[in-house]
Amino acid sequence: MKKIIKNPLALAGLIIILLIAILALFASYLSPYDPNYIDIQSILVSPNKQHIMGTDALGRDVFSRMLHGAQISLLVGIVAVGISTLIGIVLGSIAGFYRGITDTLIMRLVDVMLSIPSFFLILAVIAFLTPSIWNIMIVIGLTSWMGVTRLVRAEFLSLKERDFILAAETIGASDLRIILTHLLPNSLGPIIVSTVLGVASAVLIESGLSFLGLGVQAPTASWGNILTDGKEYIQFAWWLSLFPGLAILITVLGYNLLGEGLRDNFDQNT
Amino acid sequence: MRLILTSLFFICLFGCNKSQTEDVINFDEEASQESGGTLTNAMIGEPNNLIAMIAGDGASSAIAGQIFNSLLKYDENLEFEGDLAKSWEVSEDYKTIKFNLKTQKKWSDDQPITCKDVLFTWKAVTHPDTRTPYGSDYQLVSSAECINDYQFIAKYNEPYAPALETWASLHILPEHLLKDEDINNTFFSLNPVGSNYFALDSWVTGQQLKLKANPNAIHGKPLIENKVSRIIPDLSSQFMELIAGNIDLMSINPIQYSRVFPNRSELNNKINLYKEMGNGYTYFGFNLNKKPFDDINIRKAISYAIDRQEIIDGVLLGLGEEITSPYKPGTYWENKNIKKLSFNPQKAKELLEKSGYHLNNNIYEKDGIPLSFEILTNQNKQREMTAVLIQRRLQDIGIDVSIRVIEWASFVNRFIKTGEFQAVVLGWSLSLDPDQYSIWHSSQQGPGQFNFIGYSNKTVDDLLEKGRRELNKEKRKAIYDEFSSILYEDQPIVYLYAGYGLSAIHKKIKGVKKLSPPAGIYHNDYEWFVPTKFRRNEMSL
Repeated sequence: MKKIIKNPLALAGLIIILLIAILALFASYLSPYDPNYIDIQSILVSPNKQHIMGTDALGRDVFSRMLHGAQISLLVGIVAVGISTLIGIVLGSIAGFYRGITDTLIMRLVDVMLSIPSFFLILAVIAFLTPSIWNIMIVIGLTSWMGVTRLVRAEFLSLKERDFILAAETIGASDLRIILTHLLPNSLGPIIVSTVLGVASAVLIESGLSFLGLGVQAPTASWGNILTDGKEYIQFAWWLSLFPGLAILITVLGYNLLGEGLRDNFDQNT
Repeated sequence: MRLILTSLFFICLFGCNKSQTEDVINFDEEASQESGGTLTNAMIGEPNNLIAMIAGDGASSAIAGQIFNSLLKYDENLEFEGDLAKSWEVSEDYKTIKFNLKTQKKWSDDQPITCKDVLFTWKAVTHPDTRTPYGSDYQLVSSAECINDYQFIAKYNEPYAPALETWASLHILPEHLLKDEDINNTFFSLNPVGSNYFALDSWVTGQQLKLKANPNAIHGKPLIENKVSRIIPDLSSQFMELIAGNIDLMSINPIQYSRVFPNRSELNNKINLYKEMGNGYTYFGFNLNKKPFDDINIRKAISYAIDRQEIIDGVLLGLGEEITSPYKPGTYWENKNIKKLSFNPQKAKELLEKSGYHLNNNIYEKDGIPLSFEILTNQNKQREMTAVLIQRRLQDIGIDVSIRVIEWASFVNRFIKTGEFQAVVLGWSLSLDPDQYSIWHSSQQGPGQFNFIGYSNKTVDDLLEKGRRELNKEKRKAIYDEFSSILYEDQPIVYLYAGYGLSAIHKKIKGVKKLSPPAGIYHNDYEWFVPTKFRRNEMSL
C-alpha cells in the first residue's frame, strides 16, 4: 500500500476508482432526479443549473443517468472479472500443478479461446441470449479467463521447483493444501494486476455492447446507452456524447493506471 | 517575432477560413431554367441489383426508378397517368385492361420500345424460376398478349381492383438485351439500359453511383445532367456532409428540423426545409395468438392508457399526426368518421377490472398471474423512444412492461417469422391503393407473411375480398371505410402516429415546389436545375 502511495500515477488511478465507486454506491442519494423520469417539456436541454449535464431526447436528466450508469459499469466490471478470475485460477492451478495431459488439454483450450476475437465471440453469444445485465456479466466472464489461467500456470511452474514446496510435499501435505496455502498466496501479485486491468476491459466491453444496442436494455441507463443516444445528435447536443465518453475514458484510465502501478511494484519485489 | 507569426497563423486559421465559407453567395437569387449541373444525394445502403423485381430493397428501387418506366405512373395528385402507355381502357366487366403504348420511343441504346418488351417483362415476373417477391400480383393475369407493336392486353379471371396499381409498379425491361439471359443473375442488373430520365454512367462499389441524363428519355431529357448518389451508411455523417455542402439533399429527423436548423442561421442561408405528410405509420401491435392479448378489453385498456399526443410531442417534436385508419391522412381513402380513443387511464383501469384483473402491489393480476409483457422493436431510435414512453404510461396504470431492442435481421427471423413475441412497436407503409389484404386477411398468417400478429375476423376477410373485386371508386371507399371502422373497433394494433417526411434541400437547387403536391416533394425532380452561377465545387466530385 505504501508503495502505491509513493507511485503518483498508481495513486491517481486508485483515487479515480474510489471516487467513481463512491459516486456509484451513493447514486440514489446523489441523483437530483429519477434517472428514468421523462419530461417531454425539456427535451435536449443543454447543461444548466437544473440539469448540470443537460437532458436527453426524452428530457431525462443526464447527470442522474450517468450516476446510475456508473453502478452498471462497476457491477459489470467486478462481477465479470470475478467470474473470469475464478475460472482462471482453478484451471491455471490444475494445469500448473498436475502438468501432463491435463495441462496440455487446458492450455490448448486456452489457445483456441484466444484465437477467437473475444468481442465478436461475445457479440455472437449475446445475440442469442436475452440481453440483460446478468447475461452480459456472465458472458464477459466466460470469455476472458484465458490470461489469468496462463499467469497462474506460469507462476505455479516456477514456484513448484522451489524448496518450500518440496518441504511441504515431504511432510505429506495434500495437493489442495499445497495449492491453497503455498502456491496461490505466492502468485497473488500478478493475479491482482490482471484482475485490475481486466475490470478496465470489462467496462469497455459493456459500454461497447450497450452502444451497439446489445447491452443493458432501455430504459436502464448505462454509459454506452447514453453515448449511443448522443451519436444521433452529436452536432447539436454535445453533452450527450461528451460526458459518457469522458466517464468511460477516465474509468478505464483509472483501472489501467492502478494496474500498471501495481505491476511495477510486484516486478520490483521479485 | 514568433508571437507575431503565431498570431498571424491563428488570424488566418479563423479569418481565412471565414472568407471561404459560402455565406457571401446569395442562394435565394432567382434564376432562369437551364440544363446541366450535378445533383448529389446520399444513400444509407448500396443497391444490390438494378432490376427492381429481383432486388426488393429500397436502395435498389430508388435508383432503378430513375432508370426504368412502368406502363402507368401517378401524377402529382396521385391519380394515374400514362408512363410508357399513352392511354388505357378497362373493359365493362373489369376483367380486361388494354394499354396503348406511346410510339416512336427508344431505349437508351436506341432500340425501339414495343409491346414485346411489356410482354417479356410480364412473362419474366410471373415465371416460376424468377426469384421475385412480387410475382403473385401478376399471376392473377390469366393471359396477356400483344395485338400489335403498341397494344398490350392483360386479361383477369375475375375483377382485380389493385390491377392498375400493379402496372404502375412494374418496371418494363428491354427484351432485346434480356431474352437470352437468366434474369436472376445477369450482368444487366449492374449495367442496365432503360428509358426513364437517367441512365447509369458509373458505379464505384461502396462509394457512389453516377447517373447521367438519358437523351432518349421518353418524357424528354431532364434539366439536371448528372445525379450522384453517394453511399454513406450513417445518418449523422450524411447530415455533416449536408452541412459541409458535399451533398445537396437528404431526409432529416425532427430534432434536426426543429432544433438544429432554427439555431443556425448560416444553414438557413443555404438550405431549404420541406415538410410533408410521410408515407408510413408507427403502431403498437399485439400478438393476438397469445394471452392476454386475445381479450379485446385488454387491448382497449392498453390503447386508452397510451398517450399518443405525448409520443408525437416527445418523439417527433410535434411533427406528426394521429391516425385512425391505415391510410395516409388527407387522402381519399382516409376514414374521417372514426371517433378517436383518447388518453384515459381511468377507463383503462375499469376495462382491466372488467376482465377480472385486480391490483396487487401496484401491478394488475388475474389468477395469480401478473399482467406483464415484453415490447420488441428494432434498432430505430424513434421506435425505441416510443416504447419507453409506452412503458412509462402502462407502468402508471399497473402493467409491468420490459423493452427489448433487436437488430432487424434477427428481429424478423427469430421473432416475427416464428411468432415468438408478445407485443411490438413497428411500422407499415401507407400504400396508395386501399387494398390491405396481405396485412389483415386471416389467410396471410404463414411464416414470412405480413399478418404475423394473427388477426382473424370473418367480416374483415369478406370486406377485403370484396374490395379487391370492386372497381367503382365510391363503392370501394364504402367497403374500406367499413373495414377500417371494424379494425379500429377491434384494436389488434394501437395506431401511434404518422410522422411527417422532412427534407433538407440545398438552395442552389431551383425548381423545387414550395408547396409539395400529394405525391411528394420529389415528384417533379426532372424539372429541378442548378443555375450555372451556383455550380461551384462540382469538380471535387
